[in-house]
Amino acid sequence: MKVKSFKLKAMAVLLLVMFISGVAIAGDKMLVNGFDADYPPFSFIDKSGKPAGIDVDSLNWIAKKMGFKVKHQPTDWSAIVPSLQTGKIDLIASGMSITAERQKVVAFTNPYWTVRQVLVTHKNSNLTVEKCLQTGRKIGTQRGNAETKWIKANLIEKGKKFELLQYDSAPLAIGDMVMGRIDSVATSDTILKEAVERGLPIKSIGSYGQPDTNYGYAVRKDDKKFLNKLNKGLDLLHASPYWPELKKKYGFY
Amino acid sequence: MQTDSMLRAFTAIYEGLPYILSGIWITLTVVVGAMVLGFIVGVPMAIGHVYGNRLTKRIIDVYVWFFRGIPLLVLLFLVYFGFLAALDINISPFVISIFILGLISSAYQSQIIKGAIRSISKGQFMAAQAIGMSNRKAITNIILPQALRLSLPGWSNEYTIILKESAVTYALGVAEIMTRAHHVASRTYQHLAIFILAGFIFLILTAIGTGLIRRLENRVRIPGYTQ
Repeated sequence: MKVKSFKLKAMAVLLLVMFISGVAIAGDKMLVNGFDADYPPFSFIDKSGKPAGIDVDSLNWIAKKMGFKVKHQPTDWSAIVPSLQTGKIDLIASGMSITAERQKVVAFTNPYWTVRQVLVTHKNSNLTVEKCLQTGRKIGTQRGNAETKWIKANLIEKGKKFELLQYDSAPLAIGDMVMGRIDSVATSDTILKEAVERGLPIKSIGSYGQPDTNYGYAVRKDDKKFLNKLNKGLDLLHASPYWPELKKKYGFY
Repeated sequence: MQTDSMLRAFTAIYEGLPYILSGIWITLTVVVGAMVLGFIVGVPMAIGHVYGNRLTKRIIDVYVWFFRGIPLLVLLFLVYFGFLAALDINISPFVISIFILGLISSAYQSQIIKGAIRSISKGQFMAAQAIGMSNRKAITNIILPQALRLSLPGWSNEYTIILKESAVTYALGVAEIMTRAHHVASRTYQHLAIFILAGFIFLILTAIGTGLIRRLENRVRIPGYTQ
């Protein structure tokens, strides 16, 4: 009797541990894609509450083709690389710029999209890029993204005296700019286009000097096999008729 | 132009509503989970603080000081991005949020219940001992039934506080009301309309919760009872 009750207790403890650590008991390993839920049209939450966006749809297609299971986990962008390194997530397919700095810690797939970074202002503003970079002006970015890092390293550390304000998401930065609390937002042309379609009175005033960047999926450096799988999947996707369909669906051209 | 932006706002609310509303269950699970955990930990602490020895009191004081003194956001980050990441332990933000809010709530609830126990005259405890009840029996059968009833108004207050604090778990990405509101706002760029909606949902949840606790208070009231 005593042994039995000990066994029961041990089982209960084991179950509890499995519950809180979220361990799947059986079945294939589910790979987790950490994505920025506030980055339409690359990745966001759609009307029905499901992860959507060109990256989410692309990855689902690739997973099906290459035979792995994937789920999408909204992840805070400023903590997304540490989340990948510590294994909380297994890849990042969410409009991530391939930068030299990131390549030191994670591995990227081949690029699948190129974006141009621009300064965005209110539609009625007569500011130029030069004026926006002057002392006292305010530029908004999304915290931890490639634009922020480039601006810090190439403009602020080189003596430019404008104020850089970092937001939780690109839409928040753009919203604040429309309300007039900051002068401009540094973001990609794709994000700008999406916001314009949502009725925001904004426009691009041109590049602030950052070279065009490529987007790729990020995986852990030692995940070579998975990286090859993703690259192959991307090649298949781009050759398939589904790719133009996706681009049309999300307004890419 | 004006009607166009109004239309966009209403469309965003209409389309986003089901997704945001389904976050109510997450919010309520976090809040109720935290209150239950807070109660389970808080009651023994309150008893320990009133009837315990000096060391027990000191330990409880330090615990309460700790969990009342550190902001929720700092604790969440400390545990989730700090300890758990350093120890390589994978626990979902949802569970962490219940746990942290519960421990914070236990500190507050212990104070609520402690006050209630203190307000009951010492004579009752002595009388219980005089008729041969053990200390334990006197506490569970005489003191606590009264003290817990007296704690209900304090709990009502605690509920509203935890409910509102639960929105902070947005920072860890727990899919509660605020997180979902943020998702919808990002997709539609209708931040004003969507955050008004989120605020309104919290107001309603506050009203429902405090109303339920008030009903409970009336229900368990002992007719003719005075202290």
